[in-house]
Amino acid sequence: MTAFTAILRKDLTLELRSGESTVALIALSLLIMVVIVFALSQAGARGAEAAAGALWIALVFSGMIGATRAMAAERENGCIRGILASPVDRAALYAAKLAAAFIFMAIAETAAVILMVLFFNLEFDARLIRIIPILILGLAGFSAIATLLAALSGRLRAGDLILPVLIVPLYVPALMAGVKSSGALLAGADFSMVAPWLKILVAFDILFIAAGCLLFEHVVGED
Amino acid sequence: MDAADLAACLTRALGLSFGVRPILRGIDLTADAGHGIAIVGANGCGKSTLVRILAGLAAPTAGAAFVFGEDSRRLSAASRRRIGLLTHQSFLYPNLTARENLEFHSRIRGIDRPREAAIAALGRVGMSSIADDRVRTVSRGMEQRLAIARATIADPDLLLLDEPFAALDRDGAAIVRDLIGDSLKRGAAVIVTAHTVDGLEALGLAPFELINGKLRSIPAESPQPAQSSQAGGLSLARRTTAGR
Repeated sequence: MTAFTAILRKDLTLELRSGESTVALIALSLLIMVVIVFALSQAGARGAEAAAGALWIALVFSGMIGATRAMAAERENGCIRGILASPVDRAALYAAKLAAAFIFMAIAETAAVILMVLFFNLEFDARLIRIIPILILGLAGFSAIATLLAALSGRLRAGDLILPVLIVPLYVPALMAGVKSSGALLAGADFSMVAPWLKILVAFDILFIAAGCLLFEHVVGED
Repeated sequence: MDAADLAACLTRALGLSFGVRPILRGIDLTADAGHGIAIVGANGCGKSTLVRILAGLAAPTAGAAFVFGEDSRRLSAASRRRIGLLTHQSFLYPNLTARENLEFHSRIRGIDRPREAAIAALGRVGMSSIADDRVRTVSRGMEQRLAIARATIADPDLLLLDEPFAALDRDGAAIVRDLIGDSLKRGAAVIVTAHTVDGLEALGLAPFELINGKLRSIPAESPQPAQSSQAGGLSLARRTTAGR
């Protein structure tokens, strides 16, 4: 627990000091929203489901940058080796990096939700509160998979290019569940109607967090 | 209890190849508690690779390395806690201050009172004055001193120092020699790599040369003419005359 806290605290300190990742994630979310609003307005689609789709596209693409940045900081000066040579449990390292990625993405996602409401002419009402659990589950799953794969891609030549190719196909089940459920909730549906999608998100999170804890050691391990 | 259990660090027929190219061949090395070894060799001879294997950061392709009786490929957290490692990379975050970096490494090593440990470590390497400077703003030599402070912050039982005198001025080199001497006195095993052996023998380190992937001891009575200069008075290069 001490190592987890130390690594998370260090990541947050680094981010607060530079602000690079969070600012980039928010800027990218804004750009994605603008592009999608323009694209969908041509097609006449500006409803709740379109808004949910835009929100999740922003999550996926800004999340990939966030995950890459979080691991890139560890590659500088070989810092990741310093941690690996220390007594830190690999699962604790993974959990800390996952938590840091989740926090950065949650900040960006909060900004994306505000932009979604503004660009898609939605109301700031209780429906937004109801999509929060969906977003938390989606972010947790994405952080889990992105942290694991960013550690892998960081060791590869042209790893930054490989990362999206690896993440997006694996994230499709959670993406579908997230878009469908948040779209339905924004349109006024009841929670019971989106329960099957929620179960998919929960199962996805459990699967990839467990996989990350088990595989991270092998992914970041010895040279 | 066999030799692997007794020695802080032991290798048997250790080898490493990159593809078909052998880097290390048949390395037999034993470092007991309170004893030091100096490994010298030319650039690219495999010194850093050997240190990385001993630290558990690289896996050999032949033979085995044991650290505190454990295979270096599967070191427990308890054994990793007992190792201090210095490599060509400082393991320091450029956007954290010197003190914050050392505090972080204290915390992940489970040291009580990490702030006090960091401040004490900075004092040992003469870097108290830059405690609140970000690492990105300090010179290469200062960063090397901070990296040495990081490697020694937990008073390790096995100190692996890969070219610790690189980029150091005379004072910095003297500090490192003192730290090596102090480590040996308190019973730690020390393995140091360098381009030259001179200056290290005075510390009581047994000299070895890594050449063509093989490790050979250097007899004390084989001085050679000076070949190169290096900071901190480590100015001579010697060549081995005897196999092991």
